[in-house]
Amino acid sequence: MGFFWGFIKPLLYLLIFIVIFGENLGIPNYPLFATSGLIFWFFFSNVTGQAIGSVVGSAGLLKSLNIPAYFFPLSETISELFNFLLSLIVFFVAMRWFGMVYDLKLLLVIPCIFLFAIFSLGLNLFLCSINVFFKDIGIIWGTIQPALFFLTPIAYKEQYIVQKYKAIIEYNPIYQFIKLGRSILYEPTLPPAHQWTVCISIAVITYVVGHFVFYRLKNQFISAI
Amino acid sequence: MSNDLIIKVDNVHVSFWQNNLGIYTLKDLIAQRKLPFKSKTILNNISVEVKRGDSLGIVGRNGSGKSTLLRTIAGIIKPDRGTVIVNGTFAPILAIGAGLESELTGYENIKLLLALYGTARKNTNAIDNVREFSELSDDVLRSPVKQYSSGMLARLAFSISLANDSDILIIDEVMAVGDQGFQGKCVKKIYDMKEQGKTILYVSHFPDDVARICNKAVLLEGGEVVHSGDSQEICQKYSNLF
Ligand SMILES: Nc1ncnc2c1ncn2[C@@H]1O[C@H](COP(=O)(O)OP(=O)(O)O)[C@@H](O)[C@H]1O
Ligand SMILES: [Mg+2]
Repeated sequence: MGFFWGFIKPLLYLLIFIVIFGENLGIPNYPLFATSGLIFWFFFSNVTGQAIGSVVGSAGLLKSLNIPAYFFPLSETISELFNFLLSLIVFFVAMRWFGMVYDLKLLLVIPCIFLFAIFSLGLNLFLCSINVFFKDIGIIWGTIQPALFFLTPIAYKEQYIVQKYKAIIEYNPIYQFIKLGRSILYEPTLPPAHQWTVCISIAVITYVVGHFVFYRLKNQFISAI
Repeated sequence: MSNDLIIKVDNVHVSFWQNNLGIYTLKDLIAQRKLPFKSKTILNNISVEVKRGDSLGIVGRNGSGKSTLLRTIAGIIKPDRGTVIVNGTFAPILAIGAGLESELTGYENIKLLLALYGTARKNTNAIDNVREFSELSDDVLRSPVKQYSSGMLARLAFSISLANDSDILIIDEVMAVGDQGFQGKCVKKIYDMKEQGKTILYVSHFPDDVARICNKAVLLEGGEVVHSGDSQEICQKYSNLF
């Protein structure tokens, strides 16, 4: 999507969040808090947005070259990951003003985003292969994304969700990664070990399912695109 | 596989999922609650052998499976059964209306396909060669290929295939839409390639061309090889179909 535009969107969201929630939620260092969630969300939203159409969009190449279809969702994921790492550098510089403490523990964000990328790749493999056969997957995904965004504690803390709706948070895989990322970037303490276990499990399971679906369907891509 | 064989297709069977209910969205799927896919046999029990340096013509009616066979040989389509063994490299298959990315410009297509084949690294003049052979102007190559006429597409496609220095050249009806000048040029180029010992797979609806260019040929009908052998003889059989 381009590095520049990749910045504008989260920045805009951050400004809106600061205006609306910045003083009211009683969260210390609110800009740091919100940004640590936003950068993860936008990586996710960009990478799925780019990858869904990646197989259909490469029909010409897939029909003329013996090139593995896997290459397309993978390259979209890697290029977004690259953008994410670049924006992380800017984030680190900017967040100093908002009270981020430079510490070796911040390096843990690397394995964290790596797991998140595995999870996203798995989801991308699933979405882009289904999208070959049903052309409205992109529209459906675009429709549920805002709902997912607001149901994920990005601008607010998970404690603000009342008990009877807690399940929405607990079964939200994206939030599990944001939670891990936020405990690295924002909280003063190390992330608990079980949070790593949760994220590793989600990443592995999602990848395996996505991979399986993709490989079951890929031989039929040529006839359907 | 004996040494002089470059392609060996053994008992290959290819089927596609055919969507015959016209259900192309999840919304329709949910509304109709029927899975729209039915497996349809496209190629059945195909066995073909090609010797290095041979030119194989593939003839048959529209829809008999020629393009599918070419894609299967090139490894783009995976057979359900049977094996395809190839001892060489392919140029991209650029058939009419397939192979080029329509949103990209001519130059972008050239760069993309050459880069994917690693040609750009070996031969820095590759882009110029494509432009020269295709005789397309700079202006044309700067515009998206969706604006090209079918003849211009054929020119670009054929020129890109040539720029890749591969062992096997695949030509799927691309020449038919070019103008006379271009056709003559292509035929001449094909003879050059033959001289160089390249292997050629050639699909065309002009039996005379096939008989002239190819030494061997196969006749496909309904996804099966019904005759194979000397190109003159096969072309005669093909002409007799109509
Ligand atoms: N995407 C597709 N889905 C289902 N059937 C297809 C598809 N593409 C081609 N076919 C069928 O496969 C057969 C062979 O097609 P093709 O190889 O393009 O024929 P040819 O090149 O000899 O004209 C045709 O009967 C066609 O209907
Ligand atoms: Mg054809």
